[in-house]
Amino acid sequence: MEPLVDIRDVSFAYGAVRALTNVSLRLEPGTVGIVGNNGAGKSTLLRILLGLLHPTSGGGTVLGCDVRQSSSQLRGLVGYMPEAHAVVPLLKGVEFVALSGDLYGMPKRDARRRAHEVLNYVGLGELRYRRLDEYSTGNLQRLKLAAALVHDPKLLLLDEPTNGLDPAGRTAMLRTIEDLIAATGKSVILCTHLLADIERICKQVVVMHQGTVARAGTLDALRQHTASRYALRWQGPREPFVAALQAAQVSLDFPPEHAAVPSTEQHALAVVPTGWHTAQFFELAGRSEAVVVELRPEQEDLEQLFFRVTHGN
Amino acid sequence: MGIDAAHYHPWKTNPGGKLGGPLLGAWRGVAAVVRTTLLQLMRRKAYWAIYAVGISQFVVYWVVIYALTQLQLPSGTQRGMLNTFGFSIEAADPQDTGYLDFMEQQSYVVMIMLAFCGSLVVGSDFREGTLPFYLSRRLERRHYILGKLIALVGLIWLFTVLPALILFLEYGMFTTSTDYWRANWRVVPSILGYGTILGVVLALWLAAISAYLQKLAPIAVVWSSLFVLLGRLGFMLSRETGIREWVLLDPWKDLRLAGRLCFGQFRTAGDAQLSATAAWILICVSLVALLALIRRVRAVEVSA
Repeated sequence: MEPLVDIRDVSFAYGAVRALTNVSLRLEPGTVGIVGNNGAGKSTLLRILLGLLHPTSGGGTVLGCDVRQSSSQLRGLVGYMPEAHAVVPLLKGVEFVALSGDLYGMPKRDARRRAHEVLNYVGLGELRYRRLDEYSTGNLQRLKLAAALVHDPKLLLLDEPTNGLDPAGRTAMLRTIEDLIAATGKSVILCTHLLADIERICKQVVVMHQGTVARAGTLDALRQHTASRYALRWQGPREPFVAALQAAQVSLDFPPEHAAVPSTEQHALAVVPTGWHTAQFFELAGRSEAVVVELRPEQEDLEQLFFRVTHGN
Repeated sequence: MGIDAAHYHPWKTNPGGKLGGPLLGAWRGVAAVVRTTLLQLMRRKAYWAIYAVGISQFVVYWVVIYALTQLQLPSGTQRGMLNTFGFSIEAADPQDTGYLDFMEQQSYVVMIMLAFCGSLVVGSDFREGTLPFYLSRRLERRHYILGKLIALVGLIWLFTVLPALILFLEYGMFTTSTDYWRANWRVVPSILGYGTILGVVLALWLAAISAYLQKLAPIAVVWSSLFVLLGRLGFMLSRETGIREWVLLDPWKDLRLAGRLCFGQFRTAGDAQLSATAAWILICVSLVALLALIRRVRAVEVSA
C-alpha cells in the first residue's frame, strides 16, 4: 500500500532559526495525530506536507506527490482546515464553501452543488445563507471543515479543529470527524494541543520535540514500548525485596505517601529492564520472604507518553 | 428523492467536472478571487454611495448627449452646448474638456473609493488570516496577487474607462452616420491605454499599502498623504528651487502626464518633455510596490 506520508531527512529553517531538523517519517493511511509543544515544528511540518513550504533540505512524498515539485497537484488531494479565523468577510456560508471549491479548481456549478451537500453534512444546512460574521465559533469550525471537504479530498489536514469550542461543540466536532473517518475511510492528520482528541481519534501518533520527531508510530505500539512499567504491591519486609529488585536492574518509584504512612503493604511503580519476565517478580519476592499481592502492567495515557518523551520522564 | 443530509456523499462529478489541470485550476482560482473581491465590495452600502457620486457626472453627460442628439441640432451647436456642460466629444480637445479630462475627474472619486476599500479587499486577508486559506488551496502566490489586481483594475475601470467608452459609443450611435466613430477611432485605444495606466498603477500601489497597513484608517491616511501631501510638496519644491522636475513628486501629476502620453495631448511643451520621465517614475514605483507585495504575501505564507 502506498504510504500516506513518506519524507526523509526534511529540514527547514526560517532564516537562522531551524524549525525542523532531519525529520524522517513514514505514515500509513489512516488517522494520525501530531503533538508537540509550541515551537516544536508541528505547523511547519504541516505546511511542508501541504506543499506550502519547500524543505530546505530533504524531501519525500505525500499521497505519492513530491512535496517539492507537485504542490498544486498535492493540494488538490488534500483538504486543509486552518487554525486561524481564515474567513472572507461579508460572504455567506454557502458562498464561502463554494469559493473553497473554486479555489481547488472545481467547476463553478459543481462547487456550488457540493457546497450545499457538505454544509448539510456538517450540520450547517439551516445556516448556509447567513453571513459569516453571524456564525458562532463552533459553527465557524464546522464551516471550515466543510470548506476542507468540498472537493472530496483523500487526506484531511486539521489544524486545531476543536480550538475555542465549548465541551458540547468539541464533542460534536469530534463525532463528525469520527463519523467521516468511519464512513469514508479518509486519512486524517490532526494537529492539536488537546491530547485527549488525538487519543480518541488517531491510530498513529507523531510526537514532535524541538524540530525533530521524538516518537512516531501507532498509539498501541508506543504504549507497548512502555509495557516495561508495572504497578507492584506486596506484603512483607520492604528492604530485602527492594534490594533484590534493584540488584536485578529494576528501578522503583515509590508514591509520595509511602514513607509517611507505615503499612505492612508496600507499593511502587517498577520499571524493568529488557528481557524481564514477570515471573521474576515472584521469584525475587519468594527469596525475600515477601508476597506479591498485585502486579499490573501500567497503562500510560498519551499525556504521560508525551511528557515522558518531551521531558525525559 | 431528497438528499440524505445525515451521511457523507462523495463528489459525483458532472461530465468533465473534475478538478482542472494546473492551468485550468489556476484560472478558476483567479476568477474566484476576482468574483469574491467584487462581491465583498458590493455588499458594502458605502460602496454604492461612492459609486453613485462617482457616476453622477457621467449620467449628466449621458443625458445631455442624448438630449442634444435627439434635438437634431447642427453638430457645431451640439458641440458648443456640450462644452458649456464641461465636456467635449473631440479626441483632441484644446479646452481640456475631452475624454482624457473626464477620466481625470473620475479618477478623483476612484482615489477616495480605493482609500475606503483597500482594507476590505486586501487588508482583511492579512488581518483575518484569510490569505493562508487562499494559498492552502491550489492557488499560488502569483494567482492570488493577479486575482486581487484584476478585481481592483476592474473596479477602477468601472469608474473611468467604462463611462468614457459609453459616452463615445453613445454620441456615435445617436448621430445619423458613423462618421464620428471613424474620425475619432483613436479615442478608444487612448481611453484603454490611460485606463490601463490608472488601473495597474493604482491597484498595485493600493494592494501594497493595504497589505502592510491592513486597517482602514492608516490606509486612508497614507493613501491621501501620497496623493495630496506629495503633490503639495512637489509644487513647493518646484516653486522654491525653480526646478520643474520636482512636480513629478506628485503621483497624480505623473498619472495625468502618462495619460496625456496615451492621448497625445499636452497643455504645454514642458508637460510633453516631462511625460516620459513621469511614465518611468510610475513604472519604477509600481515595480517596487509589486515586489513589496510579493514579499508580504510570502511572509504571511511562511508565518501564518
